[in-house]
Amino acid sequence: MPDFECRLKKYRLLKDLTQEQLAERVGVRRETIMRLEKAQYNPSLKLAIDISRAVDTPIEDIFLFP
Amino acid sequence: MKKRVQKIFILGALCLAAVMASSVYAVLFNDSRLVAPMDFSEYAFTARDLPMLASMLLLAAYVLYLFVLLLRAIFARRKEEPRARVTRRLNPRWGYLGLFGFLGCLGFWSYPAFGQISPFCFFLFFGFFGFFYEGRLSNTLMDERYRENRTRAALAAGRVSHAVIFLAVLVVGLGKSLLSTELALIAFLIAVTLALALELFLSEYLLYRYDHGGQAEADEE
Repeated sequence: MPDFECRLKKYRLLKDLTQEQLAERVGVRRETIMRLEKAQYNPSLKLAIDISRAVDTPIEDIFLFP
Repeated sequence: MKKRVQKIFILGALCLAAVMASSVYAVLFNDSRLVAPMDFSEYAFTARDLPMLASMLLLAAYVLYLFVLLLRAIFARRKEEPRARVTRRLNPRWGYLGLFGFLGCLGFWSYPAFGQISPFCFFLFFGFFGFFYEGRLSNTLMDERYRENRTRAALAAGRVSHAVIFLAVLVVGLGKSLLSTELALIAFLIAVTLALALELFLSEYLLYRYDHGGQAEADEE
């Protein structure tokens, strides 16, 4: 289990995006976004950057590593 | 695509016709030379052999052409695979092909009766039970999580099958005084085919489990 906190859901809702829409924008499945929001999946740097661009938020605000 | 298949069939039909025509010619006008079994160490060329030799060369060229087409298709597919974005479409019912694995048990009858051990290879078909799980992931977008899970599953399945093969070698080696060399080799063949089938099945099963594990709790918007 990845040891980090993920605030993706908060920023996604601020952008008024559904999981499906975000998944489509960054080229992954909705299940992957679900796992990310629950911090059950550690994304690649590319996916993290794509997500941060999609929700218009810096990576370090979305993924919090201790 | 259709034209290419048509071309293959037409060429095949032409080769077949050439072989049949030259065989008829050889039977009728050339004492069945190169058709009936003969001793090639005493073979001497005559002009009447030319039709048969030409048709055999044509057939060999056709087989070579088919082989080249097959190789090209394999390489083209390998090139396309990394670019594929979704998994192949597959009906989970193909998993029933795994039942053919039980045909491997025929080996226990064919070996004592005819000395044939090849039926044991049917145990490999047990691996096709994996289609049940591959079918459930049919036409799935292969994102980075999917690819990561696929690698994890393949590694885990490989580790298990290697362990099974290692144990089989160990057990057969320890029991060498009880088994003849032939029986030891048969036991080893069975163990290897079952281990390979297990690897085929596990790689699909584990991929499905990794991909869908904890789905119920996570399945919320």
